[in-house]
Amino acid sequence: MKILKNLAIATTALALLAGPAAAQSESSTLVVAVPSDPQSLEPGTNRAWPVGSEVILNVFDTLVAWSPPEFSSLEGRLAESWTVSEDGKTFDFKLREGVMFHDGTPFNAEAAKYSFERTSELNSYVKATFGLIESVEAVSDTELRIMLSAPYPAFLSILAQPQAAIVSPTAAEEAGEGFASNPVGTGPFKFESYSADTSVVLVANPDYFRGAPGVERLIFRVIPDASTRRLELESGGVDIVQQQGQLSSPPAQDVAELSENPDITVLEVPSQIIRQFEFNNSLTDGPYADARVRKALTYAIDYEGLLAGIFGGTAERVYGPLTTNSWAFNPAMKEMAPTYDPEKAKAMLAEAGVDPSELSTKLYSFQGQLWGAIATFVQANLADIGVNVEIAQTEFPSYRALHVAGEHQIALDGRQPWYNDPDAHITIGYLSSLKDSAMTFRMGEDAELDALIQKAQQTPGLEARKELYFEVQEQIMEKVPGAYLFSPKLIIFHRNNIDGLVVNSAPPLNEYWSVTKN
Amino acid sequence: MIGFVFRRLLAVIPVLLIVLVLVFSLVRVVPGDPAVTLLGPGASDVQIAALREQLNLDQPIVMQFVSYLGGVLQGDLGISLKSGQPVTLELMKRLPATIELSVVALLAAIVIGIPLGVFSATRPDTVLDQGLRILSLVGVSVPAFLFALVLQLTFGLWLGWLPISGRMSPFVSFEPITGYYILDGLLSGQPSLALLAVSYVILPASVLTAFLAAVLSRFVRSAMLEAIEEDYVRTARAKGLAERAIIYGHALRNALLPAITVLGLAFAEMLGGAILTETIFAWPGIGRYMFEAISNRDYPVIQGTTLLFALIFIVTALVVDLIHGWLDPRVRKRLK
Repeated sequence: MKILKNLAIATTALALLAGPAAAQSESSTLVVAVPSDPQSLEPGTNRAWPVGSEVILNVFDTLVAWSPPEFSSLEGRLAESWTVSEDGKTFDFKLREGVMFHDGTPFNAEAAKYSFERTSELNSYVKATFGLIESVEAVSDTELRIMLSAPYPAFLSILAQPQAAIVSPTAAEEAGEGFASNPVGTGPFKFESYSADTSVVLVANPDYFRGAPGVERLIFRVIPDASTRRLELESGGVDIVQQQGQLSSPPAQDVAELSENPDITVLEVPSQIIRQFEFNNSLTDGPYADARVRKALTYAIDYEGLLAGIFGGTAERVYGPLTTNSWAFNPAMKEMAPTYDPEKAKAMLAEAGVDPSELSTKLYSFQGQLWGAIATFVQANLADIGVNVEIAQTEFPSYRALHVAGEHQIALDGRQPWYNDPDAHITIGYLSSLKDSAMTFRMGEDAELDALIQKAQQTPGLEARKELYFEVQEQIMEKVPGAYLFSPKLIIFHRNNIDGLVVNSAPPLNEYWSVTKN
Repeated sequence: MIGFVFRRLLAVIPVLLIVLVLVFSLVRVVPGDPAVTLLGPGASDVQIAALREQLNLDQPIVMQFVSYLGGVLQGDLGISLKSGQPVTLELMKRLPATIELSVVALLAAIVIGIPLGVFSATRPDTVLDQGLRILSLVGVSVPAFLFALVLQLTFGLWLGWLPISGRMSPFVSFEPITGYYILDGLLSGQPSLALLAVSYVILPASVLTAFLAAVLSRFVRSAMLEAIEEDYVRTARAKGLAERAIIYGHALRNALLPAITVLGLAFAEMLGGAILTETIFAWPGIGRYMFEAISNRDYPVIQGTTLLFALIFIVTALVVDLIHGWLDPRVRKRLK
């Protein structure tokens, strides 16, 4: 023990005395723990991987961005202002003057044009949205015009995404494929180094057009294990921890315990993520094809009990196809949403002439403790009305394969929108022509609903779209594609000496420009 | 001797080929489409189809294998589906971390395990022996993740003596030369850096060492107990040799032979355990890389890492044989 103690003292002392090697001051360096390697820091090939996307948004700027803290309206970044034509197909941007890329290249309309054309060419992930771009024109140094082949109001939301970040044309041309590990943008932080599976180091850009960031360095440390991230936070090894992965949530117990820790602040923000108990809506025979049966089952689930028992306040109720914080949320959903009433559920099944035993099947779910707990809860709820289901927790790739093939009758599933627009939930989730693609409700053909969804997607004007989405939500609810279970909150833990962190809700990508450390 | 090594290396080729065929087909039998996984929740069909084409996943499996094998023969393990970087390069980046961790663990296990085994064997059934035997049983049976957590909590969080995770302080700007940080610290003339690197390796290595040292001490103990009963030890005693010379010069030398075989096997097994240890300690090595590749269905990376692990296994076995020859004249004679 004594030897260890001496060794510890010696190493600590040496770390402090290491001289020039340890020159970076800890007090002006912000350390953010992230669960996985960023993979690529290249906007041109970004596929909405959470970590890489977040780094990109701190190194680069987009033309527009969602305004904090509400994130419900767009503000200009590299664009000062913009107008959209009546037909919703032409977007004119007035660009900011005097902005420089980190390599000294001036930002102008040509650079924006270059970036959009580059992403269109490199990135298959945004094919559906960037594919709508008919032309990008640099009218002058400060004027950019984008023409779409079809009206797509959510396009501005796409422009706020990392794939639409503006890259330095000089640096991108010079680096070629190496740009992914040596990104150059106009953002608040400059890229310094990347070490695989270890860290990404960024340094402040003192000339940033919105003002220099609050810290001198920003380090993203890759720590895959959730409990290790927590220990690092408690010991002060990291300042900010993002606990949620794409399909996980921090255990409610962690949240409760860390809330008690006087050194740590817990930020909880509603998200637009939806988790549901869903049906295979393409089935044409069997009891699950009957909407009355599906509806009965939605009354069997104890929604409030699930939120209280498993989440302890770390998730919120979802009433319909959109979360309550979406601008297109239809308040009528609160009335339409099923309530926990097992007797009613039994009566509805009886009325439909279906014996509960006919509904026995497998309940597919993702892996992990959290999903296991949710599946067990739903299983118990269903058992209460006489429906016995067997839980099949399945590894993500296998799960997705069987889901796309439609081999399930019921499953637990979820959607996380990758851009801030109701379109991200509705079109991909419920358009029947997309039923065989990933993460859909596998909706059966319905010309009326399909037309309505597409109209809501394409109609210019927020108010007009809102009304259409209200109608879409009501029509979807009548078809009972599933029971909407919950929306997990975004939970971020940070040490108390951190100030100014604003958590972005959709998608959950944070900018650290405003953060200071004392 | 050279002929022996050469023959052994030749035998490696079919083994590796079998491993390759097995892994190549196994990863493709398991359901799950890498394109779907790579794009994550929220990808549309169009996006998935485009990626499948880009990754050549729409080709027949035999064609995929033939073109892969052609690459492997030239040292090209393909391109990682996830990062788009050559797998060989990605492995080279991570290999030093794994080797550094395992070598430290192995050396510590030898230094701790052998003396403990001898110590126990020379005091059979005393309280000390019983105590050590229980301790080694604990070492073999406590799950790595639990032991890791206890170490992190105790030495990292509560006592604050050692770093909880990582391989080097994020506040140190440091240009690795060889990728072996302890060595790099010494090479760059900054022993403080080498010591810092040591402080990072202690906890993860302890988890691996605990298992290895426990296996080794149990084996050395039982082999020593047998050796002490042998005729040549009685002869040595009758000759009036000092007890120390009998134990270390005669008994241990013979007892080590089976222990080394076991150590070789345990070392290879430990590399498998490194997958977990590397993940818990955020150690940027091959094991963790493989784990992530499996959950991403990153076929070329799974194949590449499996091939590498197979190679390490084979090399370990070869080294064990060579050490046998060096320790045991009878084996040496056979090798010639």
